[in-house]
Amino acid sequence: MNIVKFREMFLTEAAEHLEVMSDILLQLDSDPEDQDGIDALFREAHSIKGMAATMEYAKTARLAHHLEDRLDDCRQLGRISAVGIDRLLEAVDLLELLLDDIRNERPERDVETFIATIAKEPIADVNSTTEEKRVDPVLAEEGFLVQLRLQDTVTTAGARFLILLNRLADFGTILETTPSTEALLQGEDPGQLLVRLDSDISQEEICQRLQEYSEIREITFPAAIAEEKSRKKESSGKMVRVSTELLDHLINLTGEMITNRYQMQSAVKEHNWQAVDDGVGQLARLVKNLHHQVLQVRMVSLESLAGRLSRTVHDLSRSSGKEISFKVEGTEIELDRVIVEELTDPFIHMVRNAVDHGIGQRGTVSIKAWREQDQVLVQVADNGRGIDPEKIRQQAQEKGLVSPAQAKSMRDYDLFQLICQPGFSTSAEVNEISGRGVGMDVVKTAVEKVGGLLLIDSVPGEGTRITLKIPLSLSIIRVLIVECAGTRMAMPITRVVQTVEVAPAEVQSSGKQLMIHYQDQLLPMLSLRKILKAPKGSHLNPIPVVITEVQGRKIGLVVDQLVGQREVFVQRLPAPFDQVRGCSGGTILGDGQIIFLLDLQTLFERR
Amino acid sequence: MSKRVMIVDDALFMRTMLRDIFESAGWQVVVEAETGAEAIEEYEIHHPDLVSMDIVMPEMSGIEALTKILSKHPAARIVVCSALSQKDLILNAINAGAKDFIVKPFQNAQVLEVVNRVVTG
Repeated sequence: MNIVKFREMFLTEAAEHLEVMSDILLQLDSDPEDQDGIDALFREAHSIKGMAATMEYAKTARLAHHLEDRLDDCRQLGRISAVGIDRLLEAVDLLELLLDDIRNERPERDVETFIATIAKEPIADVNSTTEEKRVDPVLAEEGFLVQLRLQDTVTTAGARFLILLNRLADFGTILETTPSTEALLQGEDPGQLLVRLDSDISQEEICQRLQEYSEIREITFPAAIAEEKSRKKESSGKMVRVSTELLDHLINLTGEMITNRYQMQSAVKEHNWQAVDDGVGQLARLVKNLHHQVLQVRMVSLESLAGRLSRTVHDLSRSSGKEISFKVEGTEIELDRVIVEELTDPFIHMVRNAVDHGIGQRGTVSIKAWREQDQVLVQVADNGRGIDPEKIRQQAQEKGLVSPAQAKSMRDYDLFQLICQPGFSTSAEVNEISGRGVGMDVVKTAVEKVGGLLLIDSVPGEGTRITLKIPLSLSIIRVLIVECAGTRMAMPITRVVQTVEVAPAEVQSSGKQLMIHYQDQLLPMLSLRKILKAPKGSHLNPIPVVITEVQGRKIGLVVDQLVGQREVFVQRLPAPFDQVRGCSGGTILGDGQIIFLLDLQTLFERR
Repeated sequence: MSKRVMIVDDALFMRTMLRDIFESAGWQVVVEAETGAEAIEEYEIHHPDLVSMDIVMPEMSGIEALTKILSKHPAARIVVCSALSQKDLILNAINAGAKDFIVKPFQNAQVLEVVNRVVTG
């Protein structure tokens, strides 16, 4: 077998299966009796086992096989225990590490210890701790909270808390503890213990009785604080509706992160670097998951937007006397709520354009949304008369936007982009509907403001399609990192058409302007160093160039080095730095380096 | 009346040290045991107020001995002694019914605080 050839394929596919597994597991957390979910889990494990065995990755296959067996038990019983979900998530982590080993051509790590540990655990059975964890809402209201903190010198906090719990049990009934007794017995060493105690003994008395434990640093009764906090929360900030299911996910994830923290802390203490490494791997998964879930909070579906547009079409059809049908597809697609808010007016404008300029007496306007990787595409299409590229060519030339020679060589795609130039309009008549002033330039600016891209495509007599490529979220975006004059900076990947490397011999000049060939076109070559007023650099060969689009025109931006792509969390710059033109935010890389996000639009306006 | 304690440890050094600590605080060491089996036997004879039990011992572990004593005498007050690194063993011992634990290396005051609150609690 040609291992090398199949390894990549195996790794990609296995990783996908693992992702599905952890997704299902998280869903099962809220519905542990979901038969379809359990069945799907079993199949995923089965697939991994099969693939790994074929590839002769014995340990990966062994672990997957074990999981398959255990999941078969779950299928028989029709449910999975809470412990089971945790253990299976750990198993998924371990499988991820095994894939890492395979990817890096290391021998697969040991799985027997893990299998031996989980072999004893009830994956399928209804576990008593499941019931313990779910606090009866009525019980939760009873009793009062006692919070204990230990002296910093206490090294076995978990064990000490267990002893203290036994002592507290003498005072009354323990209704609930955080962390749970189970977690403490598992070796968790938390910084504090929160106990809900039902007791007739006064708080003073409890403090006094616990005085004999010099290990205790602090005893508090935080009920009042908690209530006060919740009251404060209500009055501040914008409200967001969040499903309880999502909230549960968030809480579970946070819980897992706490566990992860203790695991890592103890691993560091023991200088067990493998465990630290494992912990970091797990943390990566948790953070990714958490990020995903938190973003959900900001996400809204396009349903409300579609509703508004439907109303717009209805009204326009009334006022213009045209017969217009409206079709929508993909309204379940979700976008960051800020993006949806920003784009509502532009969408209304595009729909108006379609009705006003595109459609004759009758026609259809359709909105279609779909997802492609981390972008959402929304298309506004009409089956009207379309845009005549020749008309644009002529008008652009008349308005002096392009030279006659340029006009001749421009492709239809680029011609259509000219519609988005300020003040450009192909429709001589100005009517009540589209009005004056607000044109496609406003639409395009709004789309670019949220980091999106606008594409126009039209066939005369068939209609016009305007496609918006929009990032899923504003705060976390994919960027291209480049280096220029010793500084690294980033630009949103949505703004990058392509990156190319050009040999100096390929550079042509047209007057003072240097040009490069790109897909049968001559593009002006601009130096980022020059724009940033940095000193001239040494000659590069090949020259790294970022092809980008500014105000509807492609240009080649020369940088010193193309560093790579990455996902970053963009933060707005605080005043007065938010006034710096050409810079729309900043981000901090893993190594602590601060990187500024270039706003190409304003960067070129300055020129 | 002074409290009566049984010290269980396979190391003579540890037994002597613990004896010193207990006696200096007015306790009466009724018996010393070197093994788990011996501890079970001696408990039957002396019924001490407190047992200080080492966890790691040859043949029978302290946890096993503790479990056996508690199965016959659920009210037995047993405190386990263990090294810090044996966290899991301490947790197992607590789970098995140890009333408290002392982490080695220990200081006299610590030992006395633990054992005093166990016999009075």
